[in-house]
Amino acid sequence: MIKIKNLTKKFGKTPVLDSINLSVKRGDRIALIGQNGAGKTTLIRIILGQYFFDGELAVFDKNPRHHRVEILERIGFVPQLPPPIQMNVGELVTFSAAISRKSSIDDIYQKAAELGLDIGKNVKKPFQKLSGGMKQKLLIALALAGQPDILIMDEPAANLDPQGRQAFFLQLIQSLEKTTMLLSSHRVDEIINLINRIVEMDYGRVVQDEQIDQSHFADKMLACRVTLTKNHEAAIRMLKDWGFKNVNGGLELEGSFIGAERLRFLTSISHFANHIQKLNIS
Amino acid sequence: MNTFFQVTLADFRESVRAKWFLIYSLVFGGAVILLFVLGVTEARVMGFTGLSRLLITYIQLCVAILPILILISTVRSVVGDRESNILEYFLSMPISLGAYFWGKILSRFFLIFIPISTALLGAIIWGMVKSLSIPWQIAGYYALLLGTLSWCFLGLGMFISTLVRKQEWGLGLSILIWLVLLLFIDVILIGLMLQNQIQESVIVAVSLLNPIMVFRAGAVLLFDPELTSMGPASYVILDNMGYYGFLAFTILYPLSLGWLFSWLGFSRFKKGDLV
Repeated sequence: MIKIKNLTKKFGKTPVLDSINLSVKRGDRIALIGQNGAGKTTLIRIILGQYFFDGELAVFDKNPRHHRVEILERIGFVPQLPPPIQMNVGELVTFSAAISRKSSIDDIYQKAAELGLDIGKNVKKPFQKLSGGMKQKLLIALALAGQPDILIMDEPAANLDPQGRQAFFLQLIQSLEKTTMLLSSHRVDEIINLINRIVEMDYGRVVQDEQIDQSHFADKMLACRVTLTKNHEAAIRMLKDWGFKNVNGGLELEGSFIGAERLRFLTSISHFANHIQKLNIS
Repeated sequence: MNTFFQVTLADFRESVRAKWFLIYSLVFGGAVILLFVLGVTEARVMGFTGLSRLLITYIQLCVAILPILILISTVRSVVGDRESNILEYFLSMPISLGAYFWGKILSRFFLIFIPISTALLGAIIWGMVKSLSIPWQIAGYYALLLGTLSWCFLGLGMFISTLVRKQEWGLGLSILIWLVLLLFIDVILIGLMLQNQIQESVIVAVSLLNPIMVFRAGAVLLFDPELTSMGPASYVILDNMGYYGFLAFTILYPLSLGWLFSWLGFSRFKKGDLV
């Protein structure tokens, strides 16, 4: 669906993307991760046909800059920050449905309802006055209603609080089982259950491109024992959030979690790697 | 075509809710009301009184403030959308660059022209209510003049908007261009004439490249067909173009300039990075 070969992008003399090679096939659900300035948003904008570039890029076998409209009819995009649109919700929904050949107002209402947003109750409300979560849900509903072949989301939960992010991704998991996705995020642990591939970028290059296979342990319970080096409050709190309990009142905690969650657990605990003496999963 | 009209309507809705539109409408609507309240229709200048007098004063007000108001509000179109990430979002939808750009221009034209023409229409209606004599020829020509001048500076504003990467630069450039155009009406040209003894026809030709000058001359033309208020320049203009030729020039030249700047802006917009 997307083929990228030796793609380079410079702003002035500064290279932002440097010889990127990547391909996205149907069914890929990619987490595009990396620090600020790694080039994630630039890559997304090039795929959307918003930047010129050097190298080769084909989206559905076409150049996205020369065949913008054709390609964008098959892509759904959710930006990192909701744009400061002055229209009210009803007007935005009507506009989006009118622009797209594949979505209707009813489709948008339905998609929003699946994500927990009642458009009917907010139709006269200015888009700007919605909460951060509601804005993101509406933008996702607008993107999904067009039945996109690829859904691209740039840090879709960046402006949500932790509780909001968790609920948001849970709902996405339920709604997007079979959609091809490119999902840019700082936090792999939040989106790990959505994805089957991780592409990591650093200084404009792809430094990691790994498939994730969760099938082996997905439905099995895994027992885990963690020994800390000291009484670290934050680490203990995190483990207790996972249902862990102290063993003998000391620095050992034990618990269990389902196999599908193991990458999310490991990502969470990696923040406290300096304070872990021993970690055992079986 | 549907997308083009959808973008026009969406931009119209967005802009109507913006504060600048309210201020802009109040300036021109308020100007007409103020002129009536101050009894301008009772005054006489160059033999003109009544509604003619009011329309002449109104058009002179427009000469002074309309270009800079249009530039300031328009120059933020593309660059403002770019900075706020609205452009990134809208151009991720299946909207062609032409539909976006020209839809925005058409929307802005309606937004600029509706308040000033409504104020003009309001003056005429009030004149009818007050049983004043209605100068239909002046009113019609002035409406056309306002339309063509709006288009000219709208095109220039959109062109500037595609040139700059920050709104502050756009605003600064707009003010600079407006000041240069104002200065070139009289001050700089008189200075040139005095210092360099340049042929008068050259000076007049250069001055007529200035759309504000053309607008000012056009505003004067209907009540001063011999352009006596413009001094010796009137001989050069009327000898070369004639009355009706110059009348047509005051409409067609700014209109063409507006189209030229709009096309330049669109070419610039689609050849570069969009966001």
